[in-house]
Formats: sequence, structure tokens, C-alpha cells
Amino acid sequence: MSRLDRLQPLVAFMLATLGVMTVFSARADWVRQVIWVLLGASVYVAAALFDYRRLRPIAPALYGGMLLLLVAVRLVGHSALGARRWLAVAGFPLEPSELSKLLLVVVLAAYLSRQERVSWRTFGGALGMVAAPAALVISQPDLGTTLVLLAVALGILFLAGARPVQLASVVVVAITAVPLLPHLLYGYQRRRLEIFLDPAQDPLGAGYSLLQARIAVGSGGLFGRGWLHGLQGQLGFVPERATDFVFATFAEEFGLLGSLVLLTLVGVLLVRLLRTATVASDRFGELLAGGTFCVVLVQVVENVGMNIGLLPIAGIPLPLISYGGSATITTFAALGLVQSVMLRRRRVAHQERLPSLGTITRRAQA
Amino acid sequence: MTSQEPPIALGGVAPKPRWSLRVAAAAATAILVIGVLAVKLAQLQVTDGTHLAALALANSVRHVVLEADRGIIYDRHGAALVQNSPVWSIAVVPAGLPSDARDRTKELIELAHLSGVPEGTLATELLAAPDLFAPVTVKANLAQADELAVSERLPDLPGASITQRSVRTYVDPMVFGHVLGYVGPIDGLQIRQLKAVGYQPDEMVGKVGVEAGLESLLRGMDGWADVEVDARGQVVKVLAARAPVAGDAVYLSLDAGLQKATAVSLAAGLTRDNKLAGASVVIDPSSGEVLAMVSLPGYDTNLFTHGISRADYDRLLKDPEKPLLNRAIAGQYAPGSTFKMVTATAGLQEGKITAQTLLSCPPYINVNGWIYHNWASYSLGWMNVAKALATSCDTFFYQVASMVGDVTLARYARAFGFGQAKGIEMPGVMPGLVPDRIWKQLECGVPDLNSDACRWTEGDTITFGIGQSYLLTTPLNQAVYVAAVANGGRVLRPTLVHFVRDPAGQLMSRQQTEVTGTVPASADNIQAVREGMREEINRPYNMNYWFRAAGVPADGGGKTGTAQWGGSGLDLPTHAWFVFFAPYAQPEIALSVFVERGELSEVEAAPIGVDIMKFYRSNLGSIRA
Repeated sequence: MSRLDRLQPLVAFMLATLGVMTVFSARADWVRQVIWVLLGASVYVAAALFDYRRLRPIAPALYGGMLLLLVAVRLVGHSALGARRWLAVAGFPLEPSELSKLLLVVVLAAYLSRQERVSWRTFGGALGMVAAPAALVISQPDLGTTLVLLAVALGILFLAGARPVQLASVVVVAITAVPLLPHLLYGYQRRRLEIFLDPAQDPLGAGYSLLQARIAVGSGGLFGRGWLHGLQGQLGFVPERATDFVFATFAEEFGLLGSLVLLTLVGVLLVRLLRTATVASDRFGELLAGGTFCVVLVQVVENVGMNIGLLPIAGIPLPLISYGGSATITTFAALGLVQSVMLRRRRVAHQERLPSLGTITRRAQA
Repeated sequence: MTSQEPPIALGGVAPKPRWSLRVAAAAATAILVIGVLAVKLAQLQVTDGTHLAALALANSVRHVVLEADRGIIYDRHGAALVQNSPVWSIAVVPAGLPSDARDRTKELIELAHLSGVPEGTLATELLAAPDLFAPVTVKANLAQADELAVSERLPDLPGASITQRSVRTYVDPMVFGHVLGYVGPIDGLQIRQLKAVGYQPDEMVGKVGVEAGLESLLRGMDGWADVEVDARGQVVKVLAARAPVAGDAVYLSLDAGLQKATAVSLAAGLTRDNKLAGASVVIDPSSGEVLAMVSLPGYDTNLFTHGISRADYDRLLKDPEKPLLNRAIAGQYAPGSTFKMVTATAGLQEGKITAQTLLSCPPYINVNGWIYHNWASYSLGWMNVAKALATSCDTFFYQVASMVGDVTLARYARAFGFGQAKGIEMPGVMPGLVPDRIWKQLECGVPDLNSDACRWTEGDTITFGIGQSYLLTTPLNQAVYVAAVANGGRVLRPTLVHFVRDPAGQLMSRQQTEVTGTVPASADNIQAVREGMREEINRPYNMNYWFRAAGVPADGGGKTGTAQWGGSGLDLPTHAWFVFFAPYAQPEIALSVFVERGELSEVEAAPIGVDIMKFYRSNLGSIRA
């Protein structure tokens, strides 16, 4: 069992605990969140026991399944807050776009693990594979998740060894697309962007959310108002206080010290994920761990960034903290797969011939 | 990193983690980005922390004023004359509106539909509010039906709420309106004085009538509360509070039944003779308590408390009959012949005449070439003072006034309370006017002793003796004056308050009879004057007719007066008066009746007084309970 990365699940569980506490404080359905975490833990164990290498051959099927789910949500999904994002599966709301973050990592890792080098052709192929789910997600409409998918794809490509010129070309294309952006975005998405640039435009809408989240975070001060003693979060001045703006609720009650503890835990988790990538026994495992690193990093940065007014508002959950079943379970599943990579990490097959004992094989562990 | 056996010992290559350049770069990026977030967090939570914490507090803690109930006004027996009735308004906390623009527009349309306020107005009012968390009243004075409709929809209208406020609703305002008055918002002039005693700029304050006169009793003490509210404006927790204290309950001296009867009698009398305005005051001659006070035309005081329209207000202001004028306290008119009891008292007390002195009653007298007429164009013969009062002989009283002189006459008039604003519990009480030489000269502007316009003449003196000249009085002053004749010369402070209870029902104070002056006349002399008043109402085929017709015993004393006004001359317009007290031996009631532009006091004013008396006698038990 010394192969096990003990720190990674420990940190994940600590984050999930902070999440449940904050969700409780935000007056969301904390019992459900506990159930999601427990379910997530079982999924984690199952994913860790599962040999991740068996995912590689079924990657095309997973890709197809992902597209199917995203199409289904377009057709029969439930809408909330003006977007169609949920599927009812056996009575549970399932958010396929959350699941797609993990599936995309698996599919891209499988695809890119076939070659040691990233040719222009492979690079284009990878981008093409992202394009389809991204188009489906943006039409929900969910700009935030789309950007997460794209960022994760670029992150994996970077880790897979894409050349700087390849990555730069994407950036160039993106910059040229900026003038087209107002035409491509849905009305509210354009508003959000405009309001991020000038919050005073809409004091009751998105500007209100930004402002109230800022006030909540700031009023936490160094030590916070104390758990369950926040004003902004407890009294509902922070909108979406258990999901998108859960960090503001947390920061108000736990202060700068609590926030730094949270960010440190996230940092430790991220480094552990990368470390798994460095010891993976194959390129698929390496990219799987690296992709999971990207998923967590991108979401943490966007969520915390918008909570403190650094980035525009997008409906991205804070992994392991925000209220929500799909996101929590998906994150646990991804971490579990990384643990699976860890458990099956590279071993150095070492043969020695000893006259007395004949040939023995020892396996050294990294 | 887990450790392993020393690689040398194994003779192979140790499988170390391969931190490639790219993975290392990824780790560095992660740490850098988290570092940036941490720096920004530190700036928000430490540098801006105090400022943002204050904003959070301002969001959630509000100071609210808890309005105290205004004291209720009752009649002397406890019948409520005003109620604090609830009115509802729609208030919206702008921050409570949906953040999605489409949903917000939908709610605004719904609110516009429910309140009747155009959606555009609502949008500007709400979205431009300086404090997004403070409730904005978008529609005041909802009808009860609307209130129910809005309450039903409230769960679907985030941010909207119904607030309740008390509004004064007066019972029978056309009868009690002039006495009770009304409340209204503090105006610019009042706020400066009232702020010092803790009034809020949006508070309601008594404007006229006893609402204004008893403001300090009726006004309760507002409470306050510091409350924590959530984002929808709902109160979560009360941090600190002081409960409001209701105003005192005031029991007026009015008898509601007698007041109504007085209003009905007066209105009927006016209608009968095609008159439009009049007033009547009924007081208790032993205590000075006002039992009834009516001024017609009245007006609906509820219009003022429930939000009067510009058109209604203009109509009241421009009405030639001046319905807003409380004639009982503020209408100043010559008393005419009802003044003759003063002249008689002065003549008797000053020794110019005795009760038995006989003077002639010619059709006119000549003073320095000026002719002063009696009402009759024939001589009524020789008569004593009682008969002169009963027949209201003008020429008799010209002679007495001439003997007494204007200075002494003015002194007696003031002793009976003429020319003095009574200290009754309402603002706007007018004093009337007792003229004298100095007054006339001052009135003249540039004193010119040689002109009749400035100089006091003998004609001024003798017409003063019959209640004309420049003499002015009010229906209230008349009632106090006749009460003094009735009770033997005690001039009382008229009052509208019977007693006062605090909100707990504890008796605070009971009205004490206050004698403001005593007429300097002997009991015999006042008795002689009373005798004349008794004779007047008992003359057959004259005033006595009304008593017999109404079935009311003519037990008491009365005096009519038809006073000319608007200058001097023969065919001037007149006002009709009737003053009366009863019973004769132990007076319980004294009253004055005034009919504006009344032409014949015996026919127009006296029957109204008799009618009031009739009600009084048949309801003696309940009035005096």
C-alpha cells in the first residue's frame, strides 16, 4: 500500500469538509451535499481500484457518449436561470457539462498518448475533438464551461509537448476572434463581459453580484466573521452563495487566514496531481493526471478570480467546495483516476542474476 | 517521494519522478496564479477590509421608526369620534428585484399592473434609488381590495412588500369636522419648531381643531428599532428597540347626540330660510364645558387625511361660503341687540337707571342732527329695563349708552368677555373687537381729530349700546357671555376637554372649571337683566310661539339680535343671532345661534335655538349622565 498517494485524498477530503461547512452556512441543502461527498468518496475508491489503462481503448466510445449526453441535454434538458443544463437521470439532476470536463480529459489523454510528439496534424485533431463538445456547451448557453474546456485542452496539449508555435497560433486565432465576440455571444454573456468592465452599469444584475461578493470577501477581514456569522452570506446579499459565489461566503466567515488555508490546500492538491503525472507508468496516465490538474486549476482560478473581482462572472463551481452533485462527484472521480494512475505507476523492472538463487526479478518502485 | 532501496545496491537505475520542464512549468504556473489570488485577497480583506465591512453593515442594519398610535378622541360619554384606520402601501427593495433583466422587467410590469403606476416611472424610481437596500414606496394608500390582490401575488414578487400605516378616519366629519379638525404633514414653517421636540419631517401633525390644539396629548412617542434585514428586506433579527407609546385618549366635553342635533337643527333652519352659513355653540354655564359646537357649511376632514386631490382642495378654498372657516370660533360679527344685556348691566350698576326707571321708546332720537331709528316706526311708550330688553327697544338703549358713556360701556363689554380670544383647545380662535376712542384713532392711520372717521362720536357711543358701532363678537364669545348672564356674572374659560386618559386607561386629568373674570355687577342688577331675557321669550304671539309650537317650556332667558353689517345706513345686510339659557332658576345650558345674512332673528335664529333645547330636554338623562 505504500504506492498509495495518501496526501491527495486527505487534502481532497479536507476541502470537501470545508465545502460542506460553507454550504451549510449558506443555507443550501447541506445534507444533499454530504450525500454527494459520500457518493463521491465511493466513486473515488472505485475509480482508484479501476485500472485506468482500460479506459484508453474505450475512449472513442466515451467521446461518443459525451456528445450524446450533451445533445440530449439540448433536446430534453431542464432549464434554470435561462440555460438548459440539466438532465434528469433516475430522478437526480445530472449536469452533463460537468461530466464532460472529465470525459474530455480522458479522451484527449487517450488521443495524445498515441504519439510521443505533437505534430500539427495531432494538434489540429485534438482541437477538433474539443470543438464539438465546446460548441454544444456554448449553445446551452454556458460560456464559462466552454472556456474551461478550451483551457483544459490547451493545458493538456502543453503537457503533451505541443510546440510553443502551436499554442501561440491558437492564441493568435483567439485574439483575431475577439472583434467577432460580441456577435458570437448570447446577449447576457455580452452583458456580463461589459459589466465586468464597468460594474456600475447594472447595479441590480451582474454588477450587483460582483459588488456584493467583493463586499463579502472584504468584510471577512483577517480572521473572518466566524463560521455561520457572516452578514453578506447569511442574509443573502451574496447571490448564488452556495454555488458560484461560495468562495465569497467562505471568505467572509473565515477571513484571509481561512482563505489562505483553502488556497494552500488547493495548491498541495495540484502539486500532488502533477507529481502523479511525473511517476505515471505510461503517457496516458501522465496526461490523465496532468489533465485533471488543468481541470482543477482552471476552475479554482476562474471561480476565486470572479469572487474577488479579478475575472468576469462565469458559472463555474469551486471544485469540492461548491454545492452540486455533478461537479462534486465528477471531481472525486477524476481524483480517483489519478490515484489509479498512482497505484499503477512506473516500476523499474530489474533483473539480476545471482548464482545461488537463479534469476530474480525485483521491482523497484518510484 | 517514497524511498526505495539504494539504487547502487540494486545495481539498476532508480525510477525517480521525471519532473520534465513542462510539468515543472505547470507547477510554477499553478503556484504563481494562486499567489496572485492570495495577493488580491490580502488587498481586499486587509487593506479594504474595514471599508467593505462597513458597507456590509450598511447593507444589513437598518434603523426603522415604529410609529406610535395617535390618541383617540371621544365624546364625553366615550363614543369614538376618530379612528386610526390602516392603509397599505406597496414598497419595493430595489436590491430584492430579480437580478436577471428579463425577470426584472416582468416583475415591473406586474407591479405596474397592480399599483397603477406606469412601468417606466417604477423603473426610474427603483433603479435610480440612492440606497438599493432601502424600501421605496411605489404606491401609497392602497384600497383594501387592492391590498388583498397584491398580498396574494407577493410570493411571486421578490423585493416587494406591503407596509401598513395608520390614517385618521373621522366619524361624521360634516358634524364634528370643525371641532376635531384634521392632521396633515408637517409643513416647512412648523418643522423648525417641531424638530426640537423630536418630530420627524414626514410625521403627521394636527393642523386645525382639537387635533392641533391637543397635539401634545394626542401625539404618542414613536419608538425605533435597529434591525438586521436580509437581502429581500425581511427583518431577520432585532438588535435594539424602543417600543412606541400611544397618545393619550381625550374625552371631549361634547355630547355626540347634542352635537348632531345642533348640526341638524342649524342645517334645517338655514335651509328653511335659504341661508347657507351659520354656527352654534352650546356650553354648560356652570363649568364652561362646550357641549356642542357647529359651524356650517362643514367639510369632509377625511379628504385631508386620506390624501386630498388638488381639485377638491381648490374647490374648498374657492367656495364663497368658506367651508374651511370655523365660524363658531373665528367668525367675527356685530352682536346687535344680543349686546343689550351688557348696556343694561352697565346702566344699572353705574346707577344711571334702576330696575324701575322708566324711559321712553320713541321711533327715533336725534343726536347732533343725526337721526337714530328704533326698529319700530312708532312709539312703544314708557318702559323699564326688563321691558326694554323684552321688546328690544333701540332708542331706550341709545339713551342708556349715552348716560353710561363709551369708556364705561367698553369696560363692561370686556368684563363679559367681549374682545378676548377664549383659551379653548384649538388654534385660530378670534377675539372679536371692543372699540373705544383710542382704537378708533389708531384705526384711522393718520390721526385727524377733526374728522368723524377718526374721532369717537356720540353716534358711536349710542350704536355701541345696541351692539353695533364697531363691536364684533364670535358665536363662542356669545355663548360664554350668555352663560355669564345665566350663572350670575361668572365668565368661564370655555373648554372642549372633559377628561384625559393615558394609553393604559389611567385617568390623567379631569377638566377643572376656570373662572376668568367676574362681571362687576350686583346680583340684583344681573337678576334684572335675566328678568328681561325671560320676558322676551314669554311675549305672547312673538317668541313664545316657537316654544309652544315645539312643546318646549319657555323656562329660561333669551335674546335675539339682528345685526347690521357692512357700513352704516338704513338698508344694510344683517346677521341674525339668538342667545339663550335655561332653565331660569338653575341654568344648565347656555347657547348662541348665528345665521349669516339672517334677516329676522326672531324667525330665523330663535327657532334653531328652540329646536336644540327641545333635543336637550328630551335627552336630558343621556346628556347629563
